[in-house]
Amino acid sequence: MKKKIGKALVVGAGISGIRAALDLAEFGYGVTLIDQSPHIGGILSQLDYQFPTDRCGMCKMLPMVDRDTSSQYCLRKGLFHENIDIRLSTELVSVEGEPGNFQVLLRQKPNLVDPSRCIGCGECVKVCPVEVPDAFNTGLSGRKAIYLPVPHAIPNAYIIDTNVCSRCGECEAVCSTGAIKLLEEVRKDFRILVVDDELIMRDSLKAWLEDEGFAVDIAASGSEALNHLSKQAYELMLVDIKMPGMDGVELLQKAKEVFPDLSVVMMTAYATVETAVEAMKIGALDYLLKPFDPDTLIPMIIRTYQDLEASKEPPMEVGALVLCGGTSYFDPAGGKNTYGYGMYPNVVTSLEFERILSGTGPNQGRLVRLSDGKPLRKVAWLQCVGSRDIQIDADYCSSICCMHAIKEALVAKERAGGALEAAIFYMDMRTFGKSFQRYRDRAETEHGVRFEKGRVHSVLYDENSGDLIVRHVDYSGTHIEEIFDMVVLSVGQRPALGTTALAEMVEMPLNQWGFGQTEPFSLTRTSKEGIVLGGSFSGLKDISESVIQASAAALSASRIIHAAGGSLSLEISSVEPFPDISQEPPRILIAVCTCGDLLAKLLDTQQLVRCLKVDPAVDQVDFLEQTCTVTGWENLIERVEKHKPNRILIGSCLPYVYAQKIKELGRRVGLNPALIEVVDLMLMAQSSNLKSETLSADEISKINSELLSILGTGLARLKWADPDPVPSQKILQKALVVGGGIAGMSSALAIADHGFQVDLIEQEEMLGGNLNWLQRTLEGNTTKTILDETLLKVEKHPLIRIHTNCRVRASHGQVGRFYTTVEDEEKGAFTLEHGVTILAAGGVEADTTSYNYGTSEAIVTQKDLERKIHNNTLDQSRLESIVMIQCVDSRQEPRNYCSRICCTTALKHALHFKEKNPEIDIYILYRDMMTYGFTESYYTQARKAGVIFIQYDLAEKPQVTPTDGFVRVTAVEPIIGKSVQIYADLVVLATGIVPRLPKDLAESFGATLDRDGFFEEAESKWRPVDSLKEGIFACGLAHSPRNITESIATAEAAAQRALRILSHERMPAGKVLAEVRHSLCSLCERCIEACPYGARMVDPELEKVLVNAAMCQGCGSCATVCPNSASTLAGFLDQQMFDVIDSAFEGTA
Amino acid sequence: MKTAKINVKDGDLLTTLRDFYRSILQLEDISAILVPQHLPAKNVVMPTLVTDPKQLNGADPLAPVFPLNGAKIVSRLTRKPMGAKIAVVLRPCEIRAFVELVKLKQGRTEEVVLVGIDCLGAFKNGDYIQINGKKEAAFTSRFYKDALSGKKLTFEGFDLAPACRACENPVPNGADILIGLFGVDTDNQLLIQARTPKGETLYDKLDLYDTEEPTERSAAVKSLVTERSAYRDKMFAETTEATNSLEKLNTYFAECVNCYNCRVACPVCYCKECVFVTDVFNHDPVQYLRWANRKGVIKMPTDTVFYHMTRIAHMSTSCVGCGQCTNACPNDIPVMELFRTVSYHTQKAFEYEAGRSIEDDLPLSVFREDELAEVVGIGKAA
Repeated sequence: MKKKIGKALVVGAGISGIRAALDLAEFGYGVTLIDQSPHIGGILSQLDYQFPTDRCGMCKMLPMVDRDTSSQYCLRKGLFHENIDIRLSTELVSVEGEPGNFQVLLRQKPNLVDPSRCIGCGECVKVCPVEVPDAFNTGLSGRKAIYLPVPHAIPNAYIIDTNVCSRCGECEAVCSTGAIKLLEEVRKDFRILVVDDELIMRDSLKAWLEDEGFAVDIAASGSEALNHLSKQAYELMLVDIKMPGMDGVELLQKAKEVFPDLSVVMMTAYATVETAVEAMKIGALDYLLKPFDPDTLIPMIIRTYQDLEASKEPPMEVGALVLCGGTSYFDPAGGKNTYGYGMYPNVVTSLEFERILSGTGPNQGRLVRLSDGKPLRKVAWLQCVGSRDIQIDADYCSSICCMHAIKEALVAKERAGGALEAAIFYMDMRTFGKSFQRYRDRAETEHGVRFEKGRVHSVLYDENSGDLIVRHVDYSGTHIEEIFDMVVLSVGQRPALGTTALAEMVEMPLNQWGFGQTEPFSLTRTSKEGIVLGGSFSGLKDISESVIQASAAALSASRIIHAAGGSLSLEISSVEPFPDISQEPPRILIAVCTCGDLLAKLLDTQQLVRCLKVDPAVDQVDFLEQTCTVTGWENLIERVEKHKPNRILIGSCLPYVYAQKIKELGRRVGLNPALIEVVDLMLMAQSSNLKSETLSADEISKINSELLSILGTGLARLKWADPDPVPSQKILQKALVVGGGIAGMSSALAIADHGFQVDLIEQEEMLGGNLNWLQRTLEGNTTKTILDETLLKVEKHPLIRIHTNCRVRASHGQVGRFYTTVEDEEKGAFTLEHGVTILAAGGVEADTTSYNYGTSEAIVTQKDLERKIHNNTLDQSRLESIVMIQCVDSRQEPRNYCSRICCTTALKHALHFKEKNPEIDIYILYRDMMTYGFTESYYTQARKAGVIFIQYDLAEKPQVTPTDGFVRVTAVEPIIGKSVQIYADLVVLATGIVPRLPKDLAESFGATLDRDGFFEEAESKWRPVDSLKEGIFACGLAHSPRNITESIATAEAAAQRALRILSHERMPAGKVLAEVRHSLCSLCERCIEACPYGARMVDPELEKVLVNAAMCQGCGSCATVCPNSASTLAGFLDQQMFDVIDSAFEGTA
Repeated sequence: MKTAKINVKDGDLLTTLRDFYRSILQLEDISAILVPQHLPAKNVVMPTLVTDPKQLNGADPLAPVFPLNGAKIVSRLTRKPMGAKIAVVLRPCEIRAFVELVKLKQGRTEEVVLVGIDCLGAFKNGDYIQINGKKEAAFTSRFYKDALSGKKLTFEGFDLAPACRACENPVPNGADILIGLFGVDTDNQLLIQARTPKGETLYDKLDLYDTEEPTERSAAVKSLVTERSAYRDKMFAETTEATNSLEKLNTYFAECVNCYNCRVACPVCYCKECVFVTDVFNHDPVQYLRWANRKGVIKMPTDTVFYHMTRIAHMSTSCVGCGQCTNACPNDIPVMELFRTVSYHTQKAFEYEAGRSIEDDLPLSVFREDELAEVVGIGKAA
């Protein structure tokens, strides 16, 4: 089997980091996924609900092909993947090398709790005396120094916040599994020499450092220090610079001559900082400023210690780095207008409100105020707090807050059973994503969310009631005061902590506000080759955009790794087939972990063995201490090797943890892992209230029977376990890309660059699509460069076959093999076979008859204008007044969506005219300016340049009347409240984008379209470029309206998703797979309707229902609807489940 | 809806109907007609597939018996393309069962014209044999005359089958061609109605004269439905009372010998083989011992109530209440009564009515987020 050898480092395990890591891992690369926090999930671990479903759904990102390589449960809880090494509490220390061949050093914060031993009983929390605010609940509730970083992780091991831990040792004493080791043994091997002439300094340093577990010696002078050094090896020396006799610098020089590897940190008063810097030039590691206290000194020493420890590890080789560091959020308390945040208890940030809504939040999800328990009945959201604010150097939009606020308002309303009034104060509602406008409209019309245009200038506090008074000025200029129970500040984005240092380390540029800067026409590539960006690191994005960008980043990384030769090499796998035991009667070894003496106390082992052995399938019952430890595990292996069972049942804790271990055990003892089962005994032991030291015989027998029943369920599963190898689906490793615009070309290139053949179909005579008429972007990049560059590569690529003047007529088939009929205008029809399909049929500017378009040369569309400017058919010098009308026929039914590019196009053209002639009058009639992200600054620039923006309402649309020589435009100016007339030389209409993907074509591939004719995603947030039918992907304008760069990102994402499949010659199914017992099947086809993955079809010739093994996800819906179990699910056979249920009821009759 | 009347000669409905069927069979594109006939052997009434118009003399669609639900037969005839079109004469409950089978892909409507006839009800199979022990040729005439004149339908001490007495669907609304009796002056006329485009095509070829539906018809049907609904509701109440605990349910099925006849007779139990006769329920011998060990005693055969509950879970949404299950029970367990009682509630819960329309999706293949909020738990709270 071909396996890609090659490795990537993904920095940041938020949603985009997970996506990028999974994409790379599914393609076959090894991935190291690190996060500085102790949990995965990033910001999403704190957000329970996502629009448009107002629920979660993260698990939809889990691998669907070769899915047994990964965990398949709630992704918020955790992730295991064979190819992903997750390292939490870990930071990147250094990056050396070149693209395809980087050496990276990582630093992991020491974990004082061994996660493999922690069973999450929580006894330690009860005894911990330290209480601090809990960051998970944004400080709204408290936690102990030993705590769970998130409430839901699996396995959920406690960790110790070493910054606040008082090292009292209580937790260590109470821990029943010995998971906590406060005083790390290893630090004793780290010897530190403290050199200072002042006794008090020496002594206090020695005491502080010894408290941390280090071995410390002291010296009062340079010569004494040299004496120590000659007798004993030291890892670190702390040296005072100013000492009588031999000073610190001289000591440093002398010490370094003899011990060049010794790490030295200088200690200096402020006055001698320069000397300290000089010292660093001759080999000192760092310096410490005197005076210092333990709180600053100790973390610094520990960091130095960890760095030194980390550098002892060999550096990790990776081909590429994907930075998914996310963003942090604006702190309103630090702003110019705090809106009372930090002072009034009921002013919260959007993130804090998210926690208030959450069932794991400070109120367990009850909608009451934290300050006084008053139920929330009226809540205001204030938008753009820390965004779109030039005064605080935030001339950008944070892109997600509008939708975030609407979602919060809707969830809050639903929670309150409708008895909650929600008002959103906004400047522009930026509903620029697919389906966002309708979501907003529904919020307003169906759910009664109030949208108030305007910026709130202040929030006052009523001390008696705790209520908040929101003051704002409406359009008529009236001052309005309104009372709310709570005010939510929709806080904007800020660069993630440590972004600058990270950027410096990897030599990557940041934009003017400190966010990651990517190359023109790429959302992922930076100017530093081999370093790519995913997710919000380059600016805040919603989930679907983050996911798209993360997949695109995975693709960019993969290209680099591939180009460096790190792929398609043959991994020699010497895996021998497991011995066939299918003819043997079951001979089961039951290994019960007694968890130290915890379980031993609670049960009567002899009785248990007796009862278990009644079953003839049970060969041997063994009790082991702590199978979670290395010794325990080796003990288990020893027993297996001795008794040679053909099935193994392990009773222990945390079955999830064993998934990988079982595979390893199987390999070691030559037993198919499908024949090894783990059941959770600890849950029972923990939940039983039998904590007393001496148990009565009755109590022991009760526990015994509970244990028997749990082990019985495992035995039942094991007896019916099927060790047959899982089937796989043959994959034709070729792709079809429909549409030769920039998206289609980009995806074709991406696939071909990985060594797979691509057929590229274009209905026009030439490739290029909309780039054939587009000239430049708002940012000033010429589109010709990207077009020419891409065209050249596509046309020259040996693996891409271009079919221009061709149309797809029909297609059928399933992932792995599709048959598509293509009609060539000249040559007639031909059939292509391919394993995956990418739909990139594109889109065009919408036609219109509104605003008298077509009746006058002076009324044009934005596309007309772009062309006229380019081919000089517009006499620009003659123009004195231009009116641009936005949202023509858009954002209203039937085309109720934002086309996303029109506002920026209008700005691009407005700024172009203003640059040519600053005196020109330009009026932009708009509904909401959709200058999301960093394009906001062009909106500011346009206003500064004197472009007049007039907002219009759907109820009072502008009137356009062509007259002699000019066009009269009448519009209502809301601020003055009057109708204005503009005599324009040119009226430019922004009509938006309509897709060009024919419905029947999409359907013949098995894809569906949304009501606007765009590709319908399998899941708009989590699987944004996939179709529900596996093997079909979409990108570019056929997917959704977006600009060139964003289109390319979707193309790269689609290509990456396709590559996961193409990289397999045969795609293995999951172990849990649906099957059909044809002799029982009545062909009622209910299973076909029930299958959410389209994995079933009826073969009319065979008269059989067939299951596509690669598409089946083992959900069991088919087995559920099948009345006579003709449809079954491997691993969940009726007989097996009956046995399991029987066992679960054992002893309860 | 095109409606016509055909004249009844000498008040003889059967002869008129036979002539009508013959006229259908003689149409060029109808290759055969399925119709219940008195078979010479033992004078029983069975569905027959007739291609020769002369072989329709024994047709007896009004005999108060249907030994099996004809939907199963129509399913066999239409499961795959036949290459010819046939007409089938069915009772309303048979049509409704067929509609369910079509949705379950066990039959096709493309090549079949459904001819439905207002249903006067039937006796239990066993009762009919008792009543008609004399093989009285004119019994059908005696029966339909009594039925249509509103007389009490007790013969030899036997009442109509409970399923029929509780049936609120006496009119074959799902038929392509309806033959109406209720509210019609049946001494002189029969009502013919084309209820679908397909029915209309056939109707047009039959040389009929358009007329209006008699005004009395809807009132007659309504009054019959009211009477039957009252019986039905009483039956529901009694059955619920008899089965509202596990103990009572066990008692209800105490005589059941797991013969599975009820599921064989059931028109909508469409499985090729019931799961209860497959290896799934062929437990390991040691399993029986284990169960017995747990309680000290178990009834054999096992899985009796489990079987009935499973059948209810699988098929109650498609149950048309024809009563063939009760007919089939060797030990006279009132199976229909329980099935109908449960079905009434399950079908109501899904706003579904078995056999109402081919257009309605089977409830279990449709997921609506807002349905059964109290069960699913994700409906709109507000």
